[in-house]
Amino acid sequence: MNPETLMFSPGSYLAPGVDWLNANFHPFFSAITRFIELVLGAIEGVLLYPPFYVVMLVAAGVAALLAGWRLAIVALASLGFCLLAGLWTASMQTLALVTVSVALSVTIAFPLGILASRYRKLETALRPILDIMQTVPPWVYLIPAVMIFSLGRVPAIIATIVYGVPPMLRLTTLAFKQVPRDLMELGHAIGAPPRAILLKIEIPSATPTLLVGLNQCILLSLAMVVLAGLVGAGGLGAEVTRGLTRMEMGLGLRAGLAIVAVAILLDRLSKGALQGRSVAGARPGSR
Amino acid sequence: MEIETITDAFDTRVDDALSWIGDNGEWLFDAIRAVLEGTFDGILWLLQLAPFYVVAVLMGLLAWRVINTTAGVLTAAGLVACAMMGLWAETMSTLALVATATVLALAVGIPIGIVAGFSQSLDRFLEPLLDLIQTLPPYIYLLPTIALMGYGPATALAATFIVAMPPAIRLTSLGIRMTPSVFIELGQASGMTSWQMFTKIRLPFALPSIMAGVNQSLMMAFGMVVIAGIVGSGGLGETIYGAVRTLDIATSINAAIAIVIVTMVLDRLTQNAARNVKAGVQ
Repeated sequence: MNPETLMFSPGSYLAPGVDWLNANFHPFFSAITRFIELVLGAIEGVLLYPPFYVVMLVAAGVAALLAGWRLAIVALASLGFCLLAGLWTASMQTLALVTVSVALSVTIAFPLGILASRYRKLETALRPILDIMQTVPPWVYLIPAVMIFSLGRVPAIIATIVYGVPPMLRLTTLAFKQVPRDLMELGHAIGAPPRAILLKIEIPSATPTLLVGLNQCILLSLAMVVLAGLVGAGGLGAEVTRGLTRMEMGLGLRAGLAIVAVAILLDRLSKGALQGRSVAGARPGSR
Repeated sequence: MEIETITDAFDTRVDDALSWIGDNGEWLFDAIRAVLEGTFDGILWLLQLAPFYVVAVLMGLLAWRVINTTAGVLTAAGLVACAMMGLWAETMSTLALVATATVLALAVGIPIGIVAGFSQSLDRFLEPLLDLIQTLPPYIYLLPTIALMGYGPATALAATFIVAMPPAIRLTSLGIRMTPSVFIELGQASGMTSWQMFTKIRLPFALPSIMAGVNQSLMMAFGMVVIAGIVGSGGLGETIYGAVRTLDIATSINAAIAIVIVTMVLDRLTQNAARNVKAGVQ
């Protein structure tokens, strides 16, 4: 029994398929590319056009509104660090990448999660797919994205979206299943239309769990965006990759610490939003 | 521009510090590298001892014992598929990397977790540290390790070790702390020594949680080992890294399929082992 005689390579059958996709669906993929580049460019513009202190002040203001002045100091310190590390542009590029991919992940996962919480069949169909998606190492997601969208920022975003969807979807389903039955019955009893039940009862009462999902989605997306520096996504990931491959340890270390700063900022902001809410009372009944 | 003077000064400092560490701490890092590479070589030698079909059949039998017949057949078939794609050597060196890093992470993590399970203050000290390790993107752990140990599997192993340790510590300490107090009182009432109490009551109750920690450590290690292809770890990670950079679609699909197969096998095996342990306890 010799493996050489039984050699088979699914890749060499799939590769022409990928070529065929690229040849025949080129307009479709390039439309996606243009859409993502446009959104990304706009967000990058918003973050990079104003001088750094404006961005820092706005971030601190948002943090203060969400969870008080302590978080505002965290925001100022972490962005200040990115600035002092000489990586302001790269940090803003990374933030823009994370923002776009999280926004798109949530757009996909949120409705799907609500549907999965309503229809048991959809949930049982999704579960094994989500299991596989969460087991597979993130690297694997970059491969199909790179095959279709080549190198650059767009495959990075696509891979990040795919990677960010499962945790958000899971926690959305969980959040909507946890809505207290009495509140739902109250809604039905007063004859509220389904839209009002969704907006006024289900979403407010699901918010804490939804924010946990958002926090996970953001952190996983950041990890993926950084990893995507390997396929030319730019931002801090590209700086880390440059540091690693050219042995420029000073640069690598600065970029690594800037990633730490961005991770802490994003983590605390999304957790701060959660705590701010649970203090205010997320249950609509308590208002 | 003043920021550039700051960053330049920082970069020179870092380079100086690293070369100082390199000069003065070389024996330490050489020792660490020797331990890591020695363990890795040993495990790799074991895995490559038998031809691929023997390993595939053995893994299949293991999956059959732990899970069920279907899983056993699928495991064996999946591993044979790895060999047929011409990726057997890479698959085995990936497995050896994962096994080495996980075994070392468990050897360090489980004892720390047990101590943290008993000592509230150690747990409170470890909590933010573990939070930080798990918040940061795993990719950046390659930076300090490559700076101190250079290019090669030892760097990949050290970075993987860092990533794989937190779940083992966390879930062990959780398991120790979750022992039902009724049973602890039972032990005290029947006059057990504290060593008996630990081995006969606390450890068996903690075992399901510890096994969950093993599964998570293993999965974290797997994700990291694949990323570590960039620092020359060898194995499937490096195959993919090379294939993606040269846009060699066929090879990268094959390597990705091999990674998915090995991940699923390891995950299902350890998850079901954990479930069996849990069923045994209850």
